[in-house]
Amino acid sequence: MPGRLSGAAARPAVLVHRPPGAPAAVLREVRAGAEEEGVPTDVVDVPGRPADAVGLAHAAARASQLEVGIGVDDDGAVAVHHGKLPAHGPAATTGRDAGPGDWRRAGRVAARIVKGLPLS
Amino acid sequence: MGAPGHDPSSARLVVGVDIGNSTTEACLASLAPDGSVTYLGADLTRTTGVKGTPDNTAGALRVVRDVLARAGRRPEEVHTVLLNEATPVISGLAMETITETIITESTMIGHNPTTPGGQGLAVGTTVAIADLAGHPPGEPVVCVVPVEWDFDDVARVVNAAVARGVAVVAAVLAGDDAVLVTNRLDFPVPVVDEVRAVEKVPLGMLAAVEVAAPGRTIRTLSDSYGLASVFGLDPDQTRAVSPVARALTGNRSAVVVRTPSGDVTDRRIPVGELVLRGAGRELRVDVDAGAEAIMATVARLQPLDDVHGEPGTHVGGMLAQVRDTMTDVLHDADGSAEPAAIAIRDVLAVDTFVPAEVRGGLAGEVALENAVALAAMVRTSRSRMQLVADQVSAALGARAEIGGVEGEMAVGGALTTPGVDRPVAVLDLGGGSTDAALMTRDGVCTAVHVAGAGELVTKLIDSELALGDREVAEGVKWHPLAKVESFFHLRHEDGTVQFFDHPFPPQVFARVVVMTPDGPVPVDTRHGLDHVRRVRRAAKSRVFVVNAVRALRQVAPGGDLRALDFVVLLGGSALDFEIPELIADELAPYGIVCGTGNVLGTQGPRTAVASGLVRSHAAAMSCPAG
Repeated sequence: MPGRLSGAAARPAVLVHRPPGAPAAVLREVRAGAEEEGVPTDVVDVPGRPADAVGLAHAAARASQLEVGIGVDDDGAVAVHHGKLPAHGPAATTGRDAGPGDWRRAGRVAARIVKGLPLS
Repeated sequence: MGAPGHDPSSARLVVGVDIGNSTTEACLASLAPDGSVTYLGADLTRTTGVKGTPDNTAGALRVVRDVLARAGRRPEEVHTVLLNEATPVISGLAMETITETIITESTMIGHNPTTPGGQGLAVGTTVAIADLAGHPPGEPVVCVVPVEWDFDDVARVVNAAVARGVAVVAAVLAGDDAVLVTNRLDFPVPVVDEVRAVEKVPLGMLAAVEVAAPGRTIRTLSDSYGLASVFGLDPDQTRAVSPVARALTGNRSAVVVRTPSGDVTDRRIPVGELVLRGAGRELRVDVDAGAEAIMATVARLQPLDDVHGEPGTHVGGMLAQVRDTMTDVLHDADGSAEPAAIAIRDVLAVDTFVPAEVRGGLAGEVALENAVALAAMVRTSRSRMQLVADQVSAALGARAEIGGVEGEMAVGGALTTPGVDRPVAVLDLGGGSTDAALMTRDGVCTAVHVAGAGELVTKLIDSELALGDREVAEGVKWHPLAKVESFFHLRHEDGTVQFFDHPFPPQVFARVVVMTPDGPVPVDTRHGLDHVRRVRRAAKSRVFVVNAVRALRQVAPGGDLRALDFVVLLGGSALDFEIPELIADELAPYGIVCGTGNVLGTQGPRTAVASGLVRSHAAAMSCPAG
């Protein structure tokens, strides 16, 4: 296919931005939520920049070819963002007391934004 | 008895008040001594209580005060309040499901998870995943997974079993994990998930699992002979499973388990007969025969005297319920000791369907059950309008007169619509009943009321879309639909795309919405916009188009619609964005000029009766009778 870029980084995917301390269990469920909907995710490490989940998610969305990003912060809080939404107005967030079901749902929401399906 | 403080030689302030089933409307006018009328304003409010009962006073007073306030006049200035002689027509609704799908012994899982895994058709014996490790190699296995299992563990256990030679050909999951599990299998198989009551799937039984490719529906399990081929059924058994096939049609995935006595029953609930009396005859019609047959019978018995349902049947219960409600309301309203005589003078039957959860289903399966909706209309002789008039008179210190037959007044108001002339028929599209009145060239007026109007439309939309919320159903009825396509744009139902410079809230993203004046409001349904639109238009058509023709036939000379010239649509539902055009389309072939009323050239289809009252009062004043 002419013009097609090679390499994993070029694959259209929802980007997940996380600092090194982000809990692996949260990340696993978030990615599973998107995978169940059939939308790929790529995890991007953003070290040395303490940011909240919403800020991470917005940066991820701006960097994603699909314009959808997820942020997971050190405390396991999750935010889902779309590149065209205002920086402080994410599509979805989970609190710090959220459980696996909420994390899975956040991943699903990100995928459903990509697919143009109702979020809940 | 002239009210004190009014100079009879100067202009008089009069208010026409029309108390309808759902709204009370007022028209304020000043009558000069020479009989000329100056209209000062119109207003409306919700009717309080049942039309024709003393409870109406509160609403009547409110609308009078509102219209005066808007025109900058004081209540003391009012000379006369004109009230309509309300025909005490009230209406009732009932709906009854007439089919029921029941699954016995968990034979079928026919729900539609949004994300099943893998694809294809597989047949094997059901085995719990906990027992898979000890299962001997050989025969094909359908793995059943309870809710607490993690997708990584499921994949590991299945992969291990397959490595040992156990042929795991499909899986049934409780959680929403089908794609995750399929992606981790060494040999992908069809997987159906979100089976809520997975623990009820019988183990050790032959089962078939089918998942269609995205965008397709299953082919084998939704076909009677497909099922026969899969399970090796004889012709008798095939006949028995054909309801299963029908119930699975249109699904993307399904599971069928062959149990020794399991069954899916497509039960028809006996509804009973309607007993209709009219035109000196009595006819019976089976409700099972459908709305068309019922309405044909109704048409043969015009005018109807009464309708009963066969006692001990569903329809008997339906009509008894309508009758009891009306008896109670009238009894409470007029406070008399003896119950009012209730005769059902018209019915409208509509075939409908109700999405209902299947009894015995394992995954919230939904079947479309047939149902019949009946609107019934009752006419009683007990109008309590004099009491309302007395109370209004006392509260305002003005004269209160009851005057005018409603149909005649409506025509009078309709005639103020630009472009309308006698002979004219009006169709008042209300909440409870649809009324027609005809005025001939010589001023002779006939009027009829038929059952079924806006309330029935709302009810049909509510049940056919399984909304379970009357307010949402009202929203679907009143406002056009749109589909939110991104955070910043939506597509209206006519295809127009509109951009918004503020993002939509996440809860409306990608949803079907109704475009209310306050912005898009989501409709909680899995159906697409086209389906919702179809249901909405069909509901309006089955009630208002049917009733427009029915009512006009009853007032048209010789029952011939071609004999009508002008038809003016009035009432709340004439404000609907599509009902007037649906009716106009139906009437066009008869050479009828049909349109929405514009009373006084400014009021639209509202306040026809109220302004008709003012007009006829002014006419009576300028040329006193006798």
